[in-house]
Amino acid sequence: MHKTMTTRVLMATLLVWAIGVTGPDWLTSDRAVGATLLAQQPAPVEEFVPIDELPPQDQLPAAPLLVTAYAFVVLALFAYVGSLVRRLAGVQRDIERLQSDLKRPGRS
Amino acid sequence: MPKWFLPAVLVCAVMFAVSPILIANAPYESTMGLVQKIFYVHLPSAWVFLLAAVVCGIASARFLFRGDPHQDRLAWAAAELVVVFGIITLVTGPLWARKAWGVWWQWDVRLTSSLMGWMVSVAYLLLRQFGGPGSDKLAAGLALFGMANVPFIYISVNYWRTIHPTTSVVPTLPTSFGLPLWFSAVTFMLLFVLLLKLRVRLEEQRASLDTLYLSADA
Repeated sequence: MHKTMTTRVLMATLLVWAIGVTGPDWLTSDRAVGATLLAQQPAPVEEFVPIDELPPQDQLPAAPLLVTAYAFVVLALFAYVGSLVRRLAGVQRDIERLQSDLKRPGRS
Repeated sequence: MPKWFLPAVLVCAVMFAVSPILIANAPYESTMGLVQKIFYVHLPSAWVFLLAAVVCGIASARFLFRGDPHQDRLAWAAAELVVVFGIITLVTGPLWARKAWGVWWQWDVRLTSSLMGWMVSVAYLLLRQFGGPGSDKLAAGLALFGMANVPFIYISVNYWRTIHPTTSVVPTLPTSFGLPLWFSAVTFMLLFVLLLKLRVRLEEQRASLDTLYLSADA
């Protein structure tokens, strides 16, 4: 019984060793593919990377945001000033028209 | 218009022309870079937004307790400027935040209370426009809530957990950053005074027009 068990363990060890050293074709080809894929992957990031050190394709461009902000400020202020001037001119025109109507001699 | 108005307009125009030069020559902030330059218009417009809300509130209180129509005109004019400078603040802020925080908007206490303050002023204007007779006093009451919100907006960043910069940033700014900021702030303040004067003038003209219509009907 003991002898049979020892023989089986010995044979299994030899088989594993044989596969490890020589290896079937499918095993070695998978290893090669795995090694290639590993080499293609970027190195793992193990610490914080400041945003300005990110590659350009990962960075959000600041210029469009800045230009939009300043353009919006200018446009909003111009639009408001324009609206104010237009309203003032309208009221002034109405006042002048009404004053001239009131001064008309034929008015009862 | 008063004698000082035209020279003040010229000074304000020159300051608006000089301001971009100072901002362009200001150094880049180390962590935010170019987008930090939005700060030179965002912060002054936010200050004017809060100032206008206070002016609107004080004028409304004086109108409510004294019945002075001039104060009512002042409150209406200031409320309109709260909306104008408020929208500038609420648009330029997210444009900065998109780069600095990675999001356009965050429902934190500073941003939310600012939005509330702006909406109170929008409500004021809608009430004045469509509220009919008696809406002036209702709107004045609303403006008091708008003013009460101002200190809350200002101190919120110091008392609540928020991602918005605190009020300690401005006093600690080095001169290279502080000079364009204060120049821009004075420019915005001067613009606020000029626009307020012009808007009050519009209400005075409307009051004159109403008087003329009444005399024409009589």
